[in-house]
Amino acid sequence: MPGKRTLDYAAYAAFIGLILCAPLVLEEFWLNRIAKFLVYGLLGVAIALSWGYAGILNLGQGLFFGLGAYMMAMSLKLASPTSLQQGSATPVPDFMLWNAEPGAKTDLCCINHGSFLWTPFQNPWFGIAMGVLVPVLVATLIGWVMFRKRISGVFVSIIMLALVLLVRLVVIDAQPVTNGFNGLTDLGNLVVFGVELDPYEVVTYYVVAGALALALIATRMLVETRAGLILQAIRDDQNRARYLGFDVPLYQVFFFAVSAAIAGVAGMLYVVVAQFASPTFMDLSFSITMVVWAAVGGRASLLGACIGAIGINIIEARASETQALVQAWRAVIGLIFVLVVLYLPRGVAGFASDAADAVLSRLGRKRPPAAQSAEERVAS
Amino acid sequence: MSAVLTVDGLSVSFAGFKAVDGVSLIIEEGELRVLLGANGAGKTTLMDLISGKTKSTQGRVHLRDTDITNWEEPAIARAGIGRKFQIPSVFRELTVRRNLEVAGCGKPGVLANLRFGLPRAARRRLDEVLHLTGLSDEAQTVAGTLSHGQTQWLELGLLVMQDPKLLLLDEPTAGMTAAETLRTADIIKSLRGSHTVIVVEHDMAFVREIAQRITVMHLGQVLAEGDMASIESDPRVRAAYLGSKGIH
Ligand SMILES: Nc1ncnc2c1ncn2[C@@H]1O[C@H](COP(=O)(O)OP(=O)(O)OP(=O)(O)O)[C@@H](O)[C@H]1O
Ligand SMILES: [Mg+2]
Repeated sequence: MPGKRTLDYAAYAAFIGLILCAPLVLEEFWLNRIAKFLVYGLLGVAIALSWGYAGILNLGQGLFFGLGAYMMAMSLKLASPTSLQQGSATPVPDFMLWNAEPGAKTDLCCINHGSFLWTPFQNPWFGIAMGVLVPVLVATLIGWVMFRKRISGVFVSIIMLALVLLVRLVVIDAQPVTNGFNGLTDLGNLVVFGVELDPYEVVTYYVVAGALALALIATRMLVETRAGLILQAIRDDQNRARYLGFDVPLYQVFFFAVSAAIAGVAGMLYVVVAQFASPTFMDLSFSITMVVWAAVGGRASLLGACIGAIGINIIEARASETQALVQAWRAVIGLIFVLVVLYLPRGVAGFASDAADAVLSRLGRKRPPAAQSAEERVAS
Repeated sequence: MSAVLTVDGLSVSFAGFKAVDGVSLIIEEGELRVLLGANGAGKTTLMDLISGKTKSTQGRVHLRDTDITNWEEPAIARAGIGRKFQIPSVFRELTVRRNLEVAGCGKPGVLANLRFGLPRAARRRLDEVLHLTGLSDEAQTVAGTLSHGQTQWLELGLLVMQDPKLLLLDEPTAGMTAAETLRTADIIKSLRGSHTVIVVEHDMAFVREIAQRITVMHLGQVLAEGDMASIESDPRVRAAYLGSKGIH
């Protein structure tokens, strides 16, 4: 009889197999769409790690997504044909030219006061590195301040919520450097190791699916370590953990930063697939939407939250093909959320887990009790 | 014999009210010390001071030769003091086994714990602790669904797993049935010798069962210290208890 954990791993394997095989049956248009949804799946993993495992409900996860997205988009903006054809030694983003002071030199170094910040992004690897490092650094810094001060629960949620709105305002305000409200559009394709990641090519889909598979496996392994176990203990009772000798803030900061890194990678991949970055990534509604995906899928399960994000978006995409449902969609998703919170507090994954338990115990009851307990001992 | 814990003139006042007032104690290696006192005598506050939950305003605390006065809680825990709370606290969403695994991790840092499974010695000890606390059959039970008594035993188990030099137990039998209290006495007696323990208790049957040496606190001060017989016949103790609820 398969144990619970075996079933769990089988679910991971089946999901990863499924997303890797999708290109066999999907055409380009849907492949690109699904790639976007897989990016959302990555966000689901990030939320489940911080909310489900660390007990930190981050209502500003969009901050890390947005930072990752902008870092990548800056590199890709400089790689676009328009930026390359401005007749200067360095590529210059078009929006900087439109708003340039008369007489300003057409060069990344000095077309405006902030443009020099873009210079290192000519190297796409710099953009990629920053897409992870900036979210991690920001998360470490805020996390350090919050968790050292033993701020927790709803206060963390509110601080993160305020922060994402603040950064969104700054990005919109810094128009000369960020193109403000319009975001970064007209991007080039990312080229890594000589491979061009055209958003409608299968290779791009595989990069995203591979990243998601890797993130799922790595995060799952991470929470299976002793540190992951201690993290869950801290979630349940910080004080108890403190009196067992654990430096609680260190654990919270570490996993908060890992969650931010995953969201940063998601932001980068989103830019590769969708070819734009926009301050709307840091809208409050987007950060809350992510939390809803994770809640519906099951915040206590990395895979559950991931599938929740992908599933809701597939349903939404399907629904928007029917004119009547486009308007109703927001109401429908709201209703789903309320129903899940009321009747499936651990989300769809929690429901699946309970169902698996019920089936396993029914299977187990049919067998002689001695044999069963021996096997369970081996399984545990 | 050497002193594991030396408390010297420890005091704290909350807005002028001295909850603990110049308490001095010496706890020897392997000793099981019972702390008695009426409600509000300052027993819990004394444990708070020793374990770092409350910062003292006067006096020193030494664990062996280390001055741990007013250290942070995790640092005191790592120095070798384990604390059981008056209101039992365990990791409610984890199974009993995983609760004990957390306490057996040993190393405090994040990076040091980026590995799978417990050290072999800790795994062996885990089974012993399950047995000691009578939770072997509940190893896979989620801690939040345990009975009150079992929760108390699990918290005791966490402390044994942590393996500190000194265990501070605040009313480990609070809210227990008579049978559960006896079992708890057995668990604590089995720690005697191998562990140094300070236990706060109200239940006199329980105290008679386990006590060797008793310290009586009254109004934040040490009123008397000695074995069961000398405490029971001490007129000051009688007087202090007559004022409240009487020794029984
Ligand atoms: N943080 C605090 N602020 C103010 N007063 C406090 C604080 N902690 C404890 N006290 C007071 O100190 C006194 C001692 O309390 P403590 O909890 O140590 O008593 P105790 O001996 O453990 O009593 P019990 O048997 O009821 O548990 C009480 O009068 C209590 O009200
Ligand atoms: Mg008390």
